[in-house]
Amino acid sequence: MSFEAGWYAVAIAEGLEPGTSAGTRLFDKEIVVWRDQDGASHAWEDRCPHRGMRLSFGFVRGNHIACLYHGWQYDTAGQCRYIPAHPNLEVPDTIKVVTYPSAEAGGLVWIWSEMTTEAPVPPPADFAARPVRSLYVERSAESIAAAFVSGALGDFEASGPSVFETVIDGARLRLALQPFTAERSALHIVRLGGEADPTAIAAWSEGLRRGLEAPLPVRCAAPAAHAGA
Amino acid sequence: MVFRGVFAPESFAEFMRHRAARLSIAARPRRLEDARIEVEVEGDADLVDMFEMACSLGPLDCLVLDVERVGSEPGSRR
Repeated sequence: MSFEAGWYAVAIAEGLEPGTSAGTRLFDKEIVVWRDQDGASHAWEDRCPHRGMRLSFGFVRGNHIACLYHGWQYDTAGQCRYIPAHPNLEVPDTIKVVTYPSAEAGGLVWIWSEMTTEAPVPPPADFAARPVRSLYVERSAESIAAAFVSGALGDFEASGPSVFETVIDGARLRLALQPFTAERSALHIVRLGGEADPTAIAAWSEGLRRGLEAPLPVRCAAPAAHAGA
Repeated sequence: MVFRGVFAPESFAEFMRHRAARLSIAARPRRLEDARIEVEVEGDADLVDMFEMACSLGPLDCLVLDVERVGSEPGSRR
């Protein structure tokens, strides 16, 4: 199984508060995800065009993000709007950060995996969900998807190339797989329905991570209610 | 603008081209040698300053030891 260009979840939307930024990776490409003060989220190449500093280390100022290094500020389209060392300069249009198409749906931030102005297919449709947590796993996305499909780690149903569902302790969970690097992945988990004991979900999540990182396929220790999946 | 140092000329030329495009200024190479690069630069004075600063760092395979501006007059944009 391999992953192609597409929409991938890169963060739990609720975890990205207005005025904050976070660095992540998709297929080993460094990406900054940030939310402006008006509440819109953005996903860009994590690199200031000036000196290459990671913008995820920068500061959100209103609806601009400012580089930590020399304070160059970029608007929500990625266009540089202000250079502190040259406050009167009319900044040329060519000083612009490379952006990715992004959207929010089902409590997750999704981005199109290629740098382009517009994704060739629409983002995932919105769906009702509550955030659970993100899980970072030292294992390739391909082998995680294969493990889910095989049933070695429990009963998972594929609802998309990188999206899986399972039922844990009476709660239906959706897991969106983020190919982080060749050997590292993230799973962004949201709850679609059902009530669940947060402690049980947390224990299951840790068991899932241990199972995925085990050298050989190991059946995940799941609560007894998992049998109802 | 004259750069002196140790250059991989084609690498430095590509670096200048990229930086000039990003800064929306004109940079026309006039001499590309292992120890000397000459480039005619034209654009907003602040952006030309940024170009000089960027090129003074240069690409990894080049070492800039000195930068000189030749033929520019006060208020000139070259």
